[in-house]
Amino acid sequence: MNIYLYDGTFKSLLDLINKLIELKIKPLDIKDKENFKPNILDNMIELELDMEFDISKIKVSKNIMKTIYYVYLSSDEHKELIIYYFLLNALKYQDKIFTMRNLKCVNSALKLAKRVSNECHKLKGFVRFKEINNHVLYAEIAPDSDVLELLSYHFAKRLANEYWLIKDVKRNMYSIYNTQKYYIVSGKNINLKDIEIKEEEKEVENLWMTFFKTIGIEARKNKRCQMNFMPKKYWKYIIEMEDAYEKGNNR
Amino acid sequence: MTLEEKLKILADSAKYDASCSSSGSKRINSGGIGNASYSGICHSFASDGRCISLLKILLTNCCIFDCKYCINRKTNNVKRAIFTPEEICTITMNFYRRNYIEGLFLSSGIIKSPDYTMELLIKTIKMLRYKYHFHGYIHCKAIPGASEHLLKELGSLVDRLSANIELPTENGLKLLAPNKEENKVTKIMSYVKENRKSSFAPAGQSTQMIIGATKETDLDIMNKSEKLYKSYDLKRVFYSSYIPVNKDKLLPSLTTPPLIREHRLYEADWLLRFYGFKTSDLLDEENPNFNILMDPKANWALRHLDEFPKEINQVSYYDLLKVPGIGIKSAKRIIACRKNFKITFEDLKKMGVVIKRAKYFISCNNKYFMNREYFKKSFIEANLILEDNVKIENKKEQLSLFS
Ligand code: SF4
Repeated sequence: MNIYLYDGTFKSLLDLINKLIELKIKPLDIKDKENFKPNILDNMIELELDMEFDISKIKVSKNIMKTIYYVYLSSDEHKELIIYYFLLNALKYQDKIFTMRNLKCVNSALKLAKRVSNECHKLKGFVRFKEINNHVLYAEIAPDSDVLELLSYHFAKRLANEYWLIKDVKRNMYSIYNTQKYYIVSGKNINLKDIEIKEEEKEVENLWMTFFKTIGIEARKNKRCQMNFMPKKYWKYIIEMEDAYEKGNNR
Repeated sequence: MTLEEKLKILADSAKYDASCSSSGSKRINSGGIGNASYSGICHSFASDGRCISLLKILLTNCCIFDCKYCINRKTNNVKRAIFTPEEICTITMNFYRRNYIEGLFLSSGIIKSPDYTMELLIKTIKMLRYKYHFHGYIHCKAIPGASEHLLKELGSLVDRLSANIELPTENGLKLLAPNKEENKVTKIMSYVKENRKSSFAPAGQSTQMIIGATKETDLDIMNKSEKLYKSYDLKRVFYSSYIPVNKDKLLPSLTTPPLIREHRLYEADWLLRFYGFKTSDLLDEENPNFNILMDPKANWALRHLDEFPKEINQVSYYDLLKVPGIGIKSAKRIIACRKNFKITFEDLKKMGVVIKRAKYFISCNNKYFMNREYFKKSFIEANLILEDNVKIENKKEQLSLFS
């Protein structure tokens, strides 16, 4: 069983898939070597990959590349193989690929890309910053897909004159922004022991809680609807839902 | 009074405005904080399931008017408060930095005079834009009767500037809001329409109608909406179920707000704006109200069954849109995909079509989903109602469970 390995980065994945396509190899699977536990029957193959692979070598449109990138950010366990087959077809059909939902790989890829962009859009609203030492803003997230980079891009424009930090708790990754640029760094490489949440922070949070509780109309109460839009899995990091999260129920 | 107490009063009295939309503006961050997101962003959802996008507050709930349906009316004995511009700026900035909100939605009761109130609104928003360098989304309500130069100034500061029409007919307004005149509201609407550009209310305007406080029919309401969309280029008309906050012999005594009716009106509103329907397609003098048991599109389709079933691989975009269970996205996908291959029932699911509704009204490659004998009004109607009914039952249960 031939399984091809890449180093987890987007570039190395594309380099690998590009090579496989050139060599006309149909892989049984493609896996990130950092997170993959093989079983005895698996035969793992590592091709020599270029960390600085030039993505523009792959002749597809921006839209196709964006779709592939979004699929890569998803947490689907078969995403690499889906990208392989999607790209194989995209090279042949170019933008027409978007109308070929009758192909399984196309349908799966478009669905996953959509799921990632939906989650990213939701989090643009759900991220909650707290002010810590030196007026730095700090937020924690635990998304299903790896949307830290996309969110950083959003907040770098929006909170351009602030210093902020976003931690992806699931992946132990940080995005650090210094009013100029953001950097994505692994939690292994930084030490944030002395995060201190200021006293005044509680005041702002209380004000927000007051607003949040007041703005709902009692006669229209609809918790189910609230939960559909704001799924439980996000509650832990949304200040106004923390109580509900801790109680472990929604009523 | 503490800031928190003020916020409580002035959010509480602002919450009956249904609008929360933060879309339609491309404002960029030019050296400060904040920008607009063209598609809008919801930041939270309140206990009533409505999206929270903007800090929705009144500048003051003091008011010289006496609109019968309004909690802030002059003759009500409620706690009154007024924010200073500085206080509004502080709350907005504190919430925005922490990403609680997408921006500010500021409205106000009428204090002293329309012009005086407008000046306060302008002062507040100017401070936010120039002193705090805030480039996030701002929706402000214009005060009917205010002078034109104030409208001009306010419009150049905000993303959306709008005024509420409140009731679908002039008569309704006379009855319940004797101080208000429709032409003062429509004057604002024309002004915004004429002057809208990237530096003046770029996100356009919206309005709101209260549903169920007066005797008007759905036909009256939809006719009004249609006219408003046509005349003033409105982005949205919001429908807000009347919530009985006051007792008055002129007001109906409802126990629960007419939420299902409101829901049907929103569905019909979509049909007007995006699906090529006209009010006269949906309602007439004989049937002036929507069927509570069935959505307006399915209701229409059943009355025009001779136009169905529609062949998925053949009919036009607008014909596809007429099919219950097919929306804008799925219709576009069908059009794009059928150039490449013949679409089957199996494929439709992947395109986002709601098969359990659409199947009665379509054919794929001239095949109907079951024996064509069943293509009958009585059969389809029974099945659709059965399904919708289940939904309404759920809603009712929710209302009784939680209210
Ligand atoms: S003008 Fe009428 S609706 Fe507006 S705050 Fe005053 S009483 Fe209420």
